[in-house]
Amino acid sequence: MALWIQISPGSSEPIYAQIVAQVGRAIATGQVSAGDKLPAVRTLAGELVINPNTVARAYSILEQQRLVNTKTGSGTYVADPKLRHADAVRLNILTERMDNIITQALNIGLSEHDIKRTFEDRLKKFGTKPDGGKRKK
Amino acid sequence: MNDIVIEARNLTKYFHKTLALDHLNLKVPRGCIYGLLGRNGAGKTTAIKLMLGLLRPTTGTATVLGCDCQNLTPQIRRRIGYVTEGHRLYRWMKIGELAKFQRAFFPGFWDDKLFNDMLDYFELSKKQKIKTLSNGQRAQVSLAVTLSPNPELLIMDDPTLGLDAAIRRQFLEGMIQLIGRQGRTILFSSHILSDVERVADRIAVIDRGVLRADCKLEEFRAAVRKVRFSFAGAVPGEIDMPGLLHQRRNEKELELTLIGTTEEQIDLWAESAGATYHKDIDMNLEDQFIEFTAPDAEKKLFQWEEK
Repeated sequence: MALWIQISPGSSEPIYAQIVAQVGRAIATGQVSAGDKLPAVRTLAGELVINPNTVARAYSILEQQRLVNTKTGSGTYVADPKLRHADAVRLNILTERMDNIITQALNIGLSEHDIKRTFEDRLKKFGTKPDGGKRKK
Repeated sequence: MNDIVIEARNLTKYFHKTLALDHLNLKVPRGCIYGLLGRNGAGKTTAIKLMLGLLRPTTGTATVLGCDCQNLTPQIRRRIGYVTEGHRLYRWMKIGELAKFQRAFFPGFWDDKLFNDMLDYFELSKKQKIKTLSNGQRAQVSLAVTLSPNPELLIMDDPTLGLDAAIRRQFLEGMIQLIGRQGRTILFSSHILSDVERVADRIAVIDRGVLRADCKLEEFRAAVRKVRFSFAGAVPGEIDMPGLLHQRRNEKELELTLIGTTEEQIDLWAESAGATYHKDIDMNLEDQFIEFTAPDAEKKLFQWEEK
């Protein structure tokens, strides 16, 4: 498993949010897969030289997002993708963000075709397959 | 076990006619890293010295580990580690002699192995004389001497002032290691806000002797924001917005620094004022601190959840 978390204090993004975003991305791109163990809170806090509560907060947000499971006394693991589902609220937030991106794309002069192609190019970077099934390793 | 490690009640200090600290009320919960922030001369060192009984308050009281700070017994002092501003150590001693001297004050607490490991890590030898050390090395010795008794409460007054990035990082590592042990608490003051952001759970902001913020770090991060509003017509003159810290304007735009203002309040105001567009301007902790302690700012931010 390759999970490199790099934080930059002094940025406008809080440190816990930087961790959430990076772990989320590692899961989305398949850098880590279901069942992989995340570093222990203390270990990661020691490595990054940050408050352990900041790491714990990031992990609990990831858990709320159903991206990881915490087993008491054992650790935090990447969750099974089958258990993830898009509820109405989260789908709403997502479509709102997509609308923003589409607005920006149209305003800088991209055509519908350009937008679709850019979107497909980006998707390839995440290693997904058109059927929505398993990603290639 | 008492869950409040330090409690100040109306702690006030005058130096002659100068008010250095004005009715400080503060609680430091056990197990947290507490960052004390404030501009130079704001009253941070005075607050720390009062808490440790090194200064006598003009009025008010404070308790540390359940004991009145003016009558701290040796038994209580043994449980406290204190790093002074500037790392003042006995210059004529060798590092080994200083360790022996310090160890005598902490019977049953001093961890010789921890001290030796830290010296090795810092590449220092017990034979070196304190007066031959660089500022950075003196700070390292001070850190090793303070952490070796394994203090239950660690108080550090601007410990990383003037130190290079690598030694600053060692101080932060020391703090993270200590807080990993059960029931430890750290109070420290600093001007390096990216360090504070790394390690602090809670922060207090002292401004010209007055406590202006006492909250979780993330609460402060979320509460202080800057929003830019654009107008098609004239920019409104009077701004009636909850939490307004200050404003900046030109013919078409208005930039408001706000504290604790909700999204709804901002949207509502934008609509009533006829703003065509508004967006958040990125701020890091340093930007937020500067805006919060600007000379004309007086608003306060307190958040305290009783467990």
